[in-house]
Amino acid sequence: MTTPTPAVAVDQSLLYPSPYKEFWQAFSKNKGAVAGLLFMLLVVFCALFAPWVAPHDPSEQFRDALLTPPSWLEGGQWQYLLGTDELGRDLLSRLIHGSRLSLLIGLSSVVMSLIPGILLGLLAGFFPRIMGPSIMRLMDVMLALPSLLLAVAIVAILGPGLINTVIAIAVVSLPSYVRLTRAAVMGELNRDYVTAARLAGASLPRLMFVTVLPNCMAPLIVQATLSFSSAILDAAALGFLGLGVQPPTPEWGTMLASARDYIERAWWVVSLPGLTILLSVLAINLMGDGLRDALDPKLKNAA
Amino acid sequence: MSVVLTARDLTRHYNVSTGLFKPPAVVRALNGVSFELEAGKTLAVVGESGCGKSTLARALTLIEEPSSGSLQIAGQEVHGASKAERKQLRKDVQMVFQSPYASLNPRQKIGDQLGEPLLINTTLSKAERRERVQAMMQQVGLRPEHYQRYPHMFSGGQRQRIALARAMMLQPKVLVADEPTSALDVSIQAQVLNLFMDLQQQYQTAYVFISHNLAVVRHVADDVLVMYLGRPAEMGPKEDLYTRPLHPYTQALLSATPTLKPDPLKPKIKIVGELPNPLNPPSGCAFHQRCPYATQRCTDEVPEFRKVDTRQVACHYAEQFL
Amino acid sequence: MSLLNISNLSVRFGDRNAVPVVDGLDLKVDKGEVLAIVGESGSGKSVTMMALMGLVDSPGIVTADALTFDGNDMLKLSNRQRRKVVGKDLAMIFQDPMTALNPSYTVGFQIEEVLRQHLGMNGKAARQRALELLKKVEIPAPESRLDAYPHQLSGGMSQRVAIAMAIAGEPKLLIADEPTTALDVTIQAQIMELLLSLQQEQDMALILITHDLAVVAETAQRVCVMYAGQAVEVGHVPQLFDIPAHPYSEALLAAIPEHSEGAERLATLPGIVPGRYDRPQGCLLSPRCPYVQDHCRQQRPGLDPKTHSLARCFYPLNQEVA
Repeated sequence: MTTPTPAVAVDQSLLYPSPYKEFWQAFSKNKGAVAGLLFMLLVVFCALFAPWVAPHDPSEQFRDALLTPPSWLEGGQWQYLLGTDELGRDLLSRLIHGSRLSLLIGLSSVVMSLIPGILLGLLAGFFPRIMGPSIMRLMDVMLALPSLLLAVAIVAILGPGLINTVIAIAVVSLPSYVRLTRAAVMGELNRDYVTAARLAGASLPRLMFVTVLPNCMAPLIVQATLSFSSAILDAAALGFLGLGVQPPTPEWGTMLASARDYIERAWWVVSLPGLTILLSVLAINLMGDGLRDALDPKLKNAA
Repeated sequence: MSVVLTARDLTRHYNVSTGLFKPPAVVRALNGVSFELEAGKTLAVVGESGCGKSTLARALTLIEEPSSGSLQIAGQEVHGASKAERKQLRKDVQMVFQSPYASLNPRQKIGDQLGEPLLINTTLSKAERRERVQAMMQQVGLRPEHYQRYPHMFSGGQRQRIALARAMMLQPKVLVADEPTSALDVSIQAQVLNLFMDLQQQYQTAYVFISHNLAVVRHVADDVLVMYLGRPAEMGPKEDLYTRPLHPYTQALLSATPTLKPDPLKPKIKIVGELPNPLNPPSGCAFHQRCPYATQRCTDEVPEFRKVDTRQVACHYAEQFL
Repeated sequence: MSLLNISNLSVRFGDRNAVPVVDGLDLKVDKGEVLAIVGESGSGKSVTMMALMGLVDSPGIVTADALTFDGNDMLKLSNRQRRKVVGKDLAMIFQDPMTALNPSYTVGFQIEEVLRQHLGMNGKAARQRALELLKKVEIPAPESRLDAYPHQLSGGMSQRVAIAMAIAGEPKLLIADEPTTALDVTIQAQIMELLLSLQQEQDMALILITHDLAVVAETAQRVCVMYAGQAVEVGHVPQLFDIPAHPYSEALLAAIPEHSEGAERLATLPGIVPGRYDRPQGCLLSPRCPYVQDHCRQQRPGLDPKTHSLARCFYPLNQEVA
């Protein structure tokens, strides 16, 4: 007698949506996360189309409009919606162009630390006897130094500038990826499906990248989003200290630094870049929260 | 009937550290297990926590190398096998795990998971692999559209079918099933057990069926091996073992197993005490502290696993139960 | 007057129109009686007890015509009043003893907590009583166990501690939700025996929730079989096992390996339990029932008295048998 197949009742598995749809359904329930996503989409749009969106050239100095207040205040002009800085440059245009740099810094520093971080974490998890402890001790040393101080030291050695800023931030974020990956890998290695893959004869690279890594991605994705926002903050801090991106390049942190003297006279030159940094970081963090909530429950419900 | 697996005196020790300056303690998880397995037959391994059945499973599936003893699969000795020989051995032994929820990769489509053993071990083209996967899926009662689905979309019973399908993709000579139906409901268990039997009949695979459920074991096994604290207690043909168990532990197990028609004339053997700690095993016979028939000899001397009647028993007084 | 009276209990998750997880359940338990609730995953057996204890959180909605325990209307109790009843007169033990105990506190502390909360005992008196309770549940070396932490105990011992905590308040009704599923066979037998002896000694009613029919056959007086949220048959043991009236009871019994008695394959029902999206209009078993008639597919039968039991079926089996 052949095994009866579950043909009579409607098959439950066909009623489930695809993983992407499921993810979007979970993500969109979180209003804050969606708001964050929308804001970031706006920033990305500005970054991509900056030359067309910005009303003026960011480096152009309007000598007769130094320190113009924002348009809604007394003395403001509609030409310069958010006012001008101490050299007569339009603040709005500089902020829009600055978004390019911030996104660039965020993206490249995340990628530069994510890839080596995942590799080292995988190695540490798969070889827990010798390689694992060595890698982790190295990471412990790096974590022992305050991140900003370490970044400053690296930039001081390499010299200021955009690329070196990115390198410094990437180095500083590396340990958290390694730790996360290693912890996730160690958790997954004991599971039956990894043993089953071993039994099927999977080679080490296959085990690492095809079997285990996709199951460790959720915390990594969340960490990457949060690193993005801290990268922007770190770049801003480095810029503020004069070690990051150099003027006249419009980077939000550098804009803050050069406007230090004008806090009392022209608050908008300081507050508006600061507000932009705040909103961007907030948006990314909200997104990251939403991502974590959308990704984790799925893993829990899988049981 | 051809012999597909021969195990001789399989032993596995672990060293457990007991402190900074003390010598490590030795846990004898597996302490001398021997048996032979024929194609198309099922050996059930029965025992409770700490008896060594999981360690045995890992040794048989080549996940761990035994500390001593020999293991031959399809004539090939495992110890000292070359890389190529190991690759062949991999294809000959597969495993089905207890938890249907942990044994499938949550991030891989099941079609890919079923195709993975073929991808790694054969030179079939993508289309040929897919064809084989679909054929196996149909055999275990899955529908073609399930190929694209992820594990969390299936019920426990369906996942065990998938796990079984994956194990059988390479048509192994030996399948080790570690409590494959313990996590399933009774009626689903029945369906999955039937599937096991169907596939065995078709592929003539030898099964090592690990379980603590004696009722299930009675249904699927040909021979039964009862283990206690790493050592074999009794091994023999199923019916003999069930109708007339010779080892007191086997008797206790059978008596403790609840049955639908309790026989008021057969009193329950009361077993006292807990399972012994593998770090601190009792002297002599491992069961003597809980055995109703224990004597001084049982405390002093480890009983030999010897032939009595139609089976092998490790008890000094096995004959009295004949 | 029954100790426990459940009438038309329904539990829904979502809104009033959501598919019920427990559907119109009627149940009565008398003082000192042992009732078993049997069903597979998704049958609603655990949720019923959670509803009784008031542990169903939103979005769960609990509705019933009556839900009384020992004269208390469980639906109308305030949280404060409920805390006086639950844990004292009404107690529960769960499936996994290792997670049922708080890992950060000693065993003694946890038992004393129950005594403090429900019996107002303190200090030395509480410690003394905790010791007595541990002796009652037959834990070896109880004095030393009082100061042990849960992770230092084995599964069997943890379950004994959980039982000690449950009987500390001298309950009138003890609910045991799969108390032995996670334990080894010989320990299972010990725990079941302990539960029964305590039940008899303290004249305590016992509701045993399990999927293992054999355990029911050995311990219960009455049994309620649940399927997809409904009670499909309620009857006495062993009659229900010898002459089941409902086709599902018959199928459950047939699927047990013990019943196969040498048959090659186990008898199974095709299909799976209806989920949320595919509940039939008529009898919930109609898509799978081997005896189904047209009438069954259109109308839902009520739980009515048949010859030997209450059964939810238009065409019950074994009615001619005296």
